Order: sequence, then structure tokens, then C-alpha cells
Amino acid sequence: MKNNDFAGNVVETQDLTKTFGEDVAVQSLNMQVPRGTIFGFVGPSGCGKTTTVRLLTGFYEPTSGSLSVLGKTPTSFLKSDREKIGYLIQQFVLYPQLTVWENLNFAASFYGVGVFRRRHLNKLLDFVELTGDKHKLARDLSGGMKRRLSLAATLVHKPELLFLDEPTAGIDPILRRKFWDYFKELQAEGHSLFITTQYVGEAAFCDLVGVMYGGRLLMIETPDGLRRKAYGGDLVGIRTNEDLRHEHRQQLENLPFVHGKVKIVSDQEIEVIVEDASTAVSLLLEWCQTQQLTVAMLEKKSPSFDDVFIRIIEMEIKND
Amino acid sequence: MIRFFKYLIRISSFLGKELTEIFRQPKLILTLVLGPFLIMLLFGVAYPDQTRTLKTTFVATDPVSFQKEMDAFAQSYTSIIFDYSIESDKEKALAKLALNQTDLVIVVPDVSFETIENNQQAEFLVYHNEVDPFQVGYIQSIARIYVDEVNRQVLKSATAQGQTDSGALQTNLKTAIIKTQTLRQSIPAGDVKTATQAADLEKDLTGLDEKLTTFRSLTPGVLVSPFTAKVFGLFGDPLTVTIFFVPAVLALLLQHVSITFASLSIVREAHSGIMELFKVAPITAFETLVGKYLSYLFFEIILAGVITALAVWVLKIPILGNLLDYALAVFALLFTSLGFGFLISLVSETDTQAVQYSMLLLLASIFFSGFFMDLRLMRESITVLAWSLPATYGIRMLQDIMLRGSSIPQLVFLGIITIGIMLFLIDWVLLRKRMES
Repeated sequence: MKNNDFAGNVVETQDLTKTFGEDVAVQSLNMQVPRGTIFGFVGPSGCGKTTTVRLLTGFYEPTSGSLSVLGKTPTSFLKSDREKIGYLIQQFVLYPQLTVWENLNFAASFYGVGVFRRRHLNKLLDFVELTGDKHKLARDLSGGMKRRLSLAATLVHKPELLFLDEPTAGIDPILRRKFWDYFKELQAEGHSLFITTQYVGEAAFCDLVGVMYGGRLLMIETPDGLRRKAYGGDLVGIRTNEDLRHEHRQQLENLPFVHGKVKIVSDQEIEVIVEDASTAVSLLLEWCQTQQLTVAMLEKKSPSFDDVFIRIIEMEIKND
Repeated sequence: MIRFFKYLIRISSFLGKELTEIFRQPKLILTLVLGPFLIMLLFGVAYPDQTRTLKTTFVATDPVSFQKEMDAFAQSYTSIIFDYSIESDKEKALAKLALNQTDLVIVVPDVSFETIENNQQAEFLVYHNEVDPFQVGYIQSIARIYVDEVNRQVLKSATAQGQTDSGALQTNLKTAIIKTQTLRQSIPAGDVKTATQAADLEKDLTGLDEKLTTFRSLTPGVLVSPFTAKVFGLFGDPLTVTIFFVPAVLALLLQHVSITFASLSIVREAHSGIMELFKVAPITAFETLVGKYLSYLFFEIILAGVITALAVWVLKIPILGNLLDYALAVFALLFTSLGFGFLISLVSETDTQAVQYSMLLLLASIFFSGFFMDLRLMRESITVLAWSLPATYGIRMLQDIMLRGSSIPQLVFLGIITIGIMLFLIDWVLLRKRMES
């Protein structure tokens, strides 16, 4: 990896806006990405993720606002600044007529990597598990292999900061998981990663998640914080051997540490949102005993990020 | 120093990539090498350096007597009229012409001598079925040659007849001279005046006799056509059509190959999306362009070398000039053609558009580069267009070096290199704009 000569946030934006004519692609984006983190940029297709990445890589000039990447403004990056950045484009852009090895070599030359690079490139091929396919033409690779080759090509010059635009799009869940293992390894080596994805479930692998919707950044949180924000607290599930009646639900809703309405899962199971699950679980157990309910299950629940995301978007639409 | 090495490494990325992509397509290389060679070979076989022979139908009112005249005439002009027939029916002959069963119908005037005696020109009517203006011109020349020949034959036979007739006249003249001598001798010695007149008369008759002797001693052919012409070129024997065209074909092909390669290069990358990577990577437009120029130049110089070697050793096309001059001319042609190709690539939105522009440039080069129409025949104002095409310079340089044995024409070389450098700069600005926008 390149020498780390910049200690602050790797990415900082202030009211970053990009418009294309009348269309606002990115609106007043404010964010900080700390060094060494995996920053997940989550949102549905067309919400402005790629535009943001293009602004951060200097591909686009912002319409208004300011931004700094590794302490510099991307549009005035010098060659030495660009050498610190790796960029994985959404689609496969390498050369189908070249082999895996030739493509990697091209990328290495392209970034000005010295001629004694064979060992490094072999290591990269090992990392993305393409060693056995190094003499295959890129056009003969599967979609997943192409993505892995693209990732290896992004890493040839040992960039400090990686922008990966939907690296897991269109590949199977097993390979997607493998990619996240790669990303964790890269993070462990000291790289900072800015990853966009439309698979909201992948937010779980990130240190910080930015939720993008309609060109706006709705929030930046840790995965847990995202859940809490989506639900207004922790989600706790309760299942009893007896039926939970209407009076039970009303009583629960009146407890001071329970927020909002109780969600009925079945006659004997409900879900409640509490301020803090760690203290609420024992209090809820106590309440069950006072109500002479036999507890079959009482635990903090982790809702799927799909649900979290939908809830956040619904909240956003409601606020609008 | 490190910066410079990195610069070289970045340039080399395209050198390796473009060459690998080309060499990965053996069929393409085979086509590029063998294609032009086979075209030149076929061209040589297809045009065996002979004028077009015309099937001719003569329409004459007396076919039998005309047949004898024609047999004699056709013997002298087998290269032009190898196959002729004689018809008495003009309409039938014209129907044959319409069906392309004959190339030419010549209606022979049936009262020619009477017309001449009446101090009028007799007219041969020549019909053809051509739309190609070059072929029409050719037929007009043939008709002129034919009529000239007929005129010559008529004059020749009239002259021969005159020479024969003058035999009796000369005999009479000789008798008159003898009689004049006898008369002069019988004049009395004191009659000086009469004696002088007789001597003058005798002198005149003798002079006339001498002239008549000269007239009779000359062959009718020389008398009718006393002058002929012999043409000499400063550069030796006239060239065959194939040899003359090979340098032009080479120049046109090298231009086209360069333009096609380069025109697809950047547009294809823009289409694939890799340009996005170029924009954010530490590579500059200059490094990209230099890398691409070098890779294509490297490949095309090898290609030009192989095609030239095949042309020289197999087709026996000469290179009379200096090989270094030849190499310089080829380099200039390739460099400038690449500039055009990259320009096309940078202004095209799609592959198809780039191919169309390349084809248009090829078409323009065929018509305006002097490939088959001499530039001296072109309107002065249009020559600007001609001299903006690399092929025009290429054809001129290669013809001069290969066929005339001259050194590289300096002004032409300077012209093409200037265009090449200008195109490089324009391409650089456009690519920079594209990589920065």
C-alpha cells in the first residue's frame, strides 16, 4: 500500500451537489469516511451512488459544495494523488481479447507499477483465486471471475483508498460473501474501502453505512445504529405458551421503556421496540411473570437489513 | 528519474496491449498481409497490359468487295479490331450492338469516292453502346484512328496510282527532252535568242523529269505519311499498368489499414467504459496517445515491410530509389494516417460511425489522391482537398522513389509530416478534453 501521508478522514464532503440539467443526481451530501473503514454506500438503483463515486474520483466536477479525498480536491488531483486511489467500475471494462495475466499486466503498466512486479501480480491472482485461470482469455471468464479480475486490477498499484462501485452486483450469494471476505482482508492490510451496493443486506459487513435515496444521503450509521434508527430502538421478541391478549399488549405499550405499538407475530408471539435491549430483557421477563405468562422465548431480534432499509425509506417518504 | 520510468511504463501499457490484441488474431494478420499482396497479384493478372480489343461490325452496301479491303486493314490493326464482321443491313447491326454482341458498328459511306470527287467529305458513322466516359473516349480515339487509316489508305492507293500513271508521263517527258535537244541543235548559230529559249526549255523539262523520278522512287507510304513519332521517357521503358499502380495500391492500403485500426481504437474503449478508468487513473492523454501511436506504428511498419518484400520478390516490383527514403515515406504515411484514424475515433460516437467515416475517407482517397485520375487534370481549387489526404502524399512519394528512383520529394514529405504533427496535436487536445470532461 502507498505511504499513508494523510491522517484525517479519507473522504469528506460538504453540501456536495451534482445536477445534470434539471435533474438533481446528488443533493447536499455531507459525510466523513474515517481512514481504515469499510464504508458501505447503500441505496436502490439510480439513487445517486455511482454519481457520488464519480464525484469522489474526480470523474465529475460538483455543481456546488465541496469535497476532499485524501485531503485533496479530486478534480485537481495530481498523478501522485491518483496513484493512491483504486477504482472498480460497475461493469467489466478490461479487454476480452487479453488473458487474465495480460489484463493484469496492462493494469499494472497503466498505473506505472515497476517492471519487477511478477511476484506481486501472482500474489494478487492468488488473492482473488484466479491463479489457475491466468492464461484464460477474459472473454471466456464467468461473470464472477471477471469481477474478481477487475478487483485484482484495481489493486495492482496498492492503492490507499478503494472505490468499489457495486462490486457484488450480478454475482451469486456465495461469491458475494467471498468478496466481502476479500474486503475484510484488504481492510486488515490498512486499505480504506468505499463500497456501493444495492444489496442492503451487505450493510452488515460494513463499519459505517450511508443510506442513499433519491439523491439524498438519509443517514450514516453503524449497522446496529442503522437498525436502531430504523426502529427507534432495539427490537425484542416475546413468545409465551399462553395466548397474548389485547390487555397484555396495551399494558406492554404503556411500559415506560417500550416505544410505539406492539407488533403481533402470532397469538402467542409479539415484537416490541425498547430503548435498550440489554436492560429491557430482564424487565420484560419480570412483566411476564407478573402476568403469569410462561416465557418460551424472549430475546433481542436483529431485523434483516432489507426490513431496516424499507423502514428507513418509508420514514423518509412519510417525512416528505 | 522514477517519474520518467513510470512515464515509459505507462506508455508501454498500450504498446503491449494493442500488439497482443492484434497478434491474437492470426486471421486478421493473414488478411492484412496476404490481402494486399493478393490484390496486387490479381491486379497484375487481371490487366495484362493490352489495349481493349473491339468486336466491330461494318455496314457496307457491297460486303464482298469491302471484305478484301478489311482483311488488309485488319492485318495492320489486329490489336484494335481483332474480330469483325460485315453486314449489309444497318438495323440488324445496331440490334446486335444493343444486345452487346458487338462493341462497335461502323457504317461505311457507299458513295465515298463520288462524294470526294464532288469536293465533299464522306462520313463514316460509328455507333457504340457505352456509358463509361473513358470507354466512350477510347472508342472516339479508335474511330479517329480508323478514319485516319482509311484516309491514309485512300491517299496511298491514289499516290500509287499517280506513280504508275506518271511512268507514261515520264516517257513522254523524256521524248520531249530529246526532241527539244534536237530542236536546239537545229537552230542557226546566229539566232541566240531562240537558242537560249530552247536551252531553258530543255533545262525545265530535265528538272521536271528529275522530280518525277524522285516522286516515282518514293514509296507511297512515305509520301502519304512522311513523319512518324517515337516517344522516349527519361526513366527508361514505359512501365506496365501493374507496376505503375503497385505503389499507389500500397499507399492506399497502408493508409486504410492505419485509419481503420486507429479509428476503432478509442471509440471502442469509450464504448466499453474503460475511458472512465483512464480519467481517474494516473495516465495522461499524452501518454495514452503516444502509447497507441507507437503500438500501431510498430505493427504497421512490420506489415508494410512484409507487403513490400512480397511485392518486390514475388511480383518483381522495383524500388529504384533509396530504401531509407522508402522507409521514411512509409513512416510519414502511417504516422499521418494514424492521426486521421484517431481523429475519426475521437469524433465518432459508435464503432459503426467510425467505420463509415473510414470508408468515406477511403472513397475520397480513391477519387482525389491521384490513384487513377491524374491530379493535373483536377480543378486547381479541389487540389486542396487532394493534398489534405495522406494517400496523395504517399502515392507521390512511393511512385517517385520506387518507379523514378528519385530521392524522397522534400516538399511532399514536409507536407505530410506537417499534417501528421497537426493531427497529433488535435488528437491530443480532443483526447485530453474527453479524459477530463
